[in-house]
Amino acid sequence: MTILLKETVQTIAQSIGINNLPEEVAEALAPDVEYRMREIMQGAIKCMLHSKRTTLTTEDVNSALQLHNIEPLYGFASGGPLQFKRAVGQSDLFYVDDAEIDFKEGLLQLMDAPLPKAPLDTAVVIHWLAIEGVQPAIPENVPLEAFTPSVELKKIDTLLSKKKDDEFGVEVKLPVKHVLSQELQVYFEKITGLIISRANPSLIKAALDSLATDSGLHPLVPYFTQFIADEVVRNLDDIDLLFSLMRVVRSLLINPHIHIDPYLHQLMPSVITCLVAKRLGRKSAENSAPGRKFIDNHWDLRDYVANLISFICRRFGRVYHNLQPRITKTLLQAFLDPKRAMTQHYGAIKGLAALGPRVVGLTVLPNVETFLKHLAPDLSMEAQRSEMKRNEAMRVYGTLLTAIGVCMTSRLKYFPVFFLPRTWNPGGQGKIVTARRTVVSNSLSDSCTVSQLTNTSPRKTTTSADAQDSQPMEIECIGHSYHSSMSTIELPSQDVKSDAKIVVDVSGMDHSQHQSQDMARSREQVEPSDSDKAIFPLSDSWKEDVTLGPLFSSLIDLFGEALLPFVPRTELNIFL
Amino acid sequence: MEEEQIKNAVLAYLQKKGYRQAELAFQEEDLKSTSSSFKTDTDIANQILRYSKLDNVPASYKEAYSKLRNWVHSSLDLYKHELLRILYPVFLHCFMDLVAKGFQQEARSFFQNFKDDYETLHLRDLQKLEGVLSSDHLQEMELARSLRENKVTVKMCQFSFDLLLQYLHNTDSSLMLGVVNEHINLQVTPGQPTSWSDDDMGPLLGKPQEGVSEVNTKEIKWGMLEDSLEDKAEKELAGEAEKAEAEGKEAEGDEARKKMGEAGKAKKLKKDKVSGTAGKSLKTETTSTNSGVPRVKSELPMAIFSEESERRALDDLRNRARLSSSALPSVSFYTFLNTHNSLNCASISTDGAMVVGGFADSSLKVWDMTKSTEQHSSFSSVRLWNIPLTANLVCYKGHNYPVWDVQFSPVGHYFASASHDRTARVWSMDRAQPLRIMVGHFSDVDCVQWHVNCNYIATGSSDKTVRLWDVATGECMRLFTGHRGMVTCLSMSPDGRYMASGDEDGAIMLWDLGSGQSISPLMGHTGSVWTLDFSCEGSLLASGSADNSVRIWDVIGSLKPPRIEEKNAIRRLRLLKTLPTKATPVYSLRFSKRNLLFAAGAFNPAKKL
Repeated sequence: MTILLKETVQTIAQSIGINNLPEEVAEALAPDVEYRMREIMQGAIKCMLHSKRTTLTTEDVNSALQLHNIEPLYGFASGGPLQFKRAVGQSDLFYVDDAEIDFKEGLLQLMDAPLPKAPLDTAVVIHWLAIEGVQPAIPENVPLEAFTPSVELKKIDTLLSKKKDDEFGVEVKLPVKHVLSQELQVYFEKITGLIISRANPSLIKAALDSLATDSGLHPLVPYFTQFIADEVVRNLDDIDLLFSLMRVVRSLLINPHIHIDPYLHQLMPSVITCLVAKRLGRKSAENSAPGRKFIDNHWDLRDYVANLISFICRRFGRVYHNLQPRITKTLLQAFLDPKRAMTQHYGAIKGLAALGPRVVGLTVLPNVETFLKHLAPDLSMEAQRSEMKRNEAMRVYGTLLTAIGVCMTSRLKYFPVFFLPRTWNPGGQGKIVTARRTVVSNSLSDSCTVSQLTNTSPRKTTTSADAQDSQPMEIECIGHSYHSSMSTIELPSQDVKSDAKIVVDVSGMDHSQHQSQDMARSREQVEPSDSDKAIFPLSDSWKEDVTLGPLFSSLIDLFGEALLPFVPRTELNIFL
Repeated sequence: MEEEQIKNAVLAYLQKKGYRQAELAFQEEDLKSTSSSFKTDTDIANQILRYSKLDNVPASYKEAYSKLRNWVHSSLDLYKHELLRILYPVFLHCFMDLVAKGFQQEARSFFQNFKDDYETLHLRDLQKLEGVLSSDHLQEMELARSLRENKVTVKMCQFSFDLLLQYLHNTDSSLMLGVVNEHINLQVTPGQPTSWSDDDMGPLLGKPQEGVSEVNTKEIKWGMLEDSLEDKAEKELAGEAEKAEAEGKEAEGDEARKKMGEAGKAKKLKKDKVSGTAGKSLKTETTSTNSGVPRVKSELPMAIFSEESERRALDDLRNRARLSSSALPSVSFYTFLNTHNSLNCASISTDGAMVVGGFADSSLKVWDMTKSTEQHSSFSSVRLWNIPLTANLVCYKGHNYPVWDVQFSPVGHYFASASHDRTARVWSMDRAQPLRIMVGHFSDVDCVQWHVNCNYIATGSSDKTVRLWDVATGECMRLFTGHRGMVTCLSMSPDGRYMASGDEDGAIMLWDLGSGQSISPLMGHTGSVWTLDFSCEGSLLASGSADNSVRIWDVIGSLKPPRIEEKNAIRRLRLLKTLPTKATPVYSLRFSKRNLLFAAGAFNPAKKL
């Protein structure tokens, strides 16, 4: 019952030369030893508190022993806390990793080794923690947003302000004059000058590093955002500068000491401009001028910015729920407008792809067909004469393919049995349709596995998907069976049947039971009757996958063999 | 057969309780009356048998306690919290009964089963008691002994009391009834059940708690020191004010000019001169805040200041920045670097020019930022140091155990020390023996603080109480209970009316010395509070803690009696500002004479693993 076992006492007794300690003695000693140990540890904690520390050291234990008039013998003093390691295979056994040194060799080695560096001497440094209650933003102080006031404190603030209002009427806030220190001004000028002059790549790199790590830059943020906005508008034809500016944006975003949220809305237009602008960099005519051999590689810039946007959404999406939807909307507009230039389409697709396969599935996928129709003339050798244009179209086609492929891969990972084009035959259209039918029945015969999959992972998929997803998802209470909506494409009249459905609550405890019962029932129905008439409800989480299903199957028509590399292999499923 | 059992039970009982005479008498009588076969009352017989049974079955404790616990938890909300109060003492005593009877394992499992209920409030006591496994330990350990020897007072209203009694009788839980009867002093208060907020039972004191209210009624002169510098300053200022009025507008022009100069200075971050509005506005302030405070003559002979130091002090007073909830102080932070966890204490001179650090290797290091004597605690002795000479002048020996804290009196050459030997001592610099020894705490005295009029000292202890002692008589004048952990620091308000104390759990309590009442606690710190200080006019309280922050509290706002309906809101309103430091626990805080706040701490970056 005691923490200290009698075996422990016996072991200790043996270690000091008492070999046959009777069991009763050990049993009687154990609780007392435990009590003494606790007593000493309590004393040690006391000593620790009086030393104003929060970690217990061997010295504290020694002091506690001294307090009890016992010879201090516990360990050796060391400045830092001991490093404990977990014993392999044990969950609650720890030890201090303390290598034994062979005396002979070890001593010789120690003698030869150079003296370790002397520890730095204690020093005292003064700084202002607060000036009239306000903490100055200097490196010695904690960065502002590292300490966010709790909800309670905020409430208090509002209470306080309310109180003030009650007492003094309405408080009028005067415009605040923003005072910038001389140092910061110089810093700002240096950095902006450096970026505009494009002097030395290594210098710019140092500047970007400084922007990403310095803690006192917060007052400069509005100036930097303004600078970026101005320069982007003014220098759309200067690809290098745009690139540098985007890097500045990235540095500002990753700096943990900067509270950039209030300025995000000023930054976003410039960033999106760099993604979907019609023309970035110089005109091709100018490029042919001597000294410039190639076209400005605006594609790289767009790729970089696409990643930057996905970074922004990941970091701030949680706080600003409408951030990603707005970005998605802007990009989608660019994507859907057939009058836009190829470069704009490229940027839009790239941006949407960077936002995740889910976004692609919801926005790009339904519009692929129309888009491809629009793109087709530019792709063909006959219709489009300009090699330049064709090249651009090819790039757009490439990104579109990648985006859709990645989207499909991520979907199919969960449902490995779908769409394995076993009977797919690169022939005429009619064959493809039959292939699709086979796929359908294929999937049906495997519905058991699918249902198992959904039983185990529907929540997971939805949550991960919800996190990525920005579009408000329409959730219908009536679960469509996968099959029936599959068949709606081919035989729309059958959709009526799928309305007679049972409502399934996803989160309910008996959900899986319920579903498996339904499954069983549905299979009974499936076997005797026509497969198309089978109705089995699936959870809401299915809904969207279900609507995506037919879109996927049509992809094969649209892209043909090029899509095959994106179909996950069944062999790879073991890694899931 | 039954007769025999009863006899044995009675005999066993008498033996166990040590009733020798009764035992002999019983045996004698028993022998005599063997022949007589009168019928014993079956009721009584049953009672006796049950008693003997209960006594021997340790599991019955668990059963009876969990029944009581369930009953309390399922009782009406109106009475629940009152009934809850008895659970903790009952729990402790059940455990200790088991231990005393030698049921080690049962005691342990009983403890483990129910300790979760109390961990939030009584963690430290539980940690201490957990290790108790034999009756020897019970005798040895202070806490357990005092618990065993004294009754705990629990207040409840008449109805709760009736409920409890009824329950105890109806369920035949004589075991619980016994425990309650033996160890708990139920105090029945007339009228309605008390509200939740009055629920602070305070620590279970060793001493009977009736003592507290008795002690706290003693008369106390809490006022400021008579004829102190502040007084003189006030008079002088009053004189100046008359002059100033005569000068009229001219003075105002001066003031404006001064203010302009001030702005320039503030920009350069010049120390001690952050703000210093002209004497005129200050005068009205000082007279208004302190005029109501009574003046008390010190019973100790006081030191006489030289002209020069007096003049300087007056100068400081004149230039003091006014602080309030809307005008927060500037904080200058002294960070000790590369201490390797060895800095134990730090102190800053009142003008901020010197910083002293006390290190684990018993060394003192003084940093001169731009002169005076310093004191320091060391192992069971106090040493007096002279800084200009960098020499140890005197070593005061008297304590038998480590000295935890030493404080100089605000005026004069006295100082007080607090020690692990549970005493606080008052010393005079010219004598190697203590003048007074304050005895009364049940555990270590962890911190000590002088009252502003030098007639009292306050001590904070590990027994979770704060006491106020009369320096002249050595008598305990006040006893404050309410902390839930070791008291780590104390501070007195400059008008001598209030005292603040901080504990290791991060709570700060504000006490009214006059009435001995607690003004509800200031919560917010998440680590032990290491240091506290009032601003010079007593409007703000600064606290420094192990949670790497300095917090500024509004004292004046806290003193106003809260309106009932928004009690909770008001409670929190008092935290004015939290100033986080960069991985630097705050060891020491001090307001300068001009209300600039100095703070010191050791930079302790988290080790990267």
